[in-house]
Amino acid sequence: MRAGWLAALLALPGLAAAATHIVTIEGMQFQPAVRTVKSGDTVVWRNKDLVPHTATAAGKFDSKSMAPGGQWSWTAKAKGRQDYACTFHPTMKGSIVVRD
Amino acid sequence: MRTHVFLAGLLAGSAVLAVHAQPGPTDPQIAHIVVTANQVDIDAGKVAEKKGSTKDVRAFGKQMVTDHTAVNKSAAALVQKLHVKPEPNDTSASLKKGGEENLAALSRLKGKEFDQAYVDHEVAYHQAVIDAVDKTLVPNARNEELKALIVKVRPALVEHLEHAKHLQAELGK
Ligand SMILES: [Cu+2]
Repeated sequence: MRAGWLAALLALPGLAAAATHIVTIEGMQFQPAVRTVKSGDTVVWRNKDLVPHTATAAGKFDSKSMAPGGQWSWTAKAKGRQDYACTFHPTMKGSIVVRD
Repeated sequence: MRTHVFLAGLLAGSAVLAVHAQPGPTDPQIAHIVVTANQVDIDAGKVAEKKGSTKDVRAFGKQMVTDHTAVNKSAAALVQKLHVKPEPNDTSASLKKGGEENLAALSRLKGKEFDQAYVDHEVAYHQAVIDAVDKTLVPNARNEELKALIVKVRPALVEHLEHAKHLQAELGK
């Protein structure tokens, strides 16, 4: 719900500056699991767990190992939905949806 | 008045029960159980990393080494900060013994038999550790930070259990 408001706000003309979005990794989950961003925005994954993780979309982006307490950022370019996972923990899945 | 008398009787009764019940582990004992439980899985993971006959089994073993080493690093840092000296106890001794027996059994196996025995044990082991977290470690931990660490580790144990069950299903095909 909150993400929807944010997306609506960002869609307003004059507020088009690139934004930074946080995805928190905690409790062996990507939170939120689906993040909607605009092309040019930056996504920052923050690992708050005790174990290393990755955020990896084959052929699109790969954080490699993020240590506990570490983070990794990526700038969205191509539009569309990019499903990603943690290569260490197959149950951990997330998506980034890139809009105009 | 009658209520007070009744309550007093109940409290006295539970005090008697508490004396007779097996006391839960202390914080130094809990710390030793946590460190031992991680070490046992690290030791088995090191063997599987080398001896696993499939890429998935070797990768899982490597992951157990990575994750349980990371958890023990946090546990060691916390124990040092809290000035808690981990104290060996019956539970940690039986975990250690079970780990040694598992390694001995695994050393006699290879190929698919090794994979199956290792993965079956990982499923049972993670389930047992999760049960211990829920029934013994979290309810008995007195220090809030120690309790918080154990609560924070739980989702990793659940993920490992799911991962091991997935491997178990793959091996069964
Ligand atoms: Cu992960």
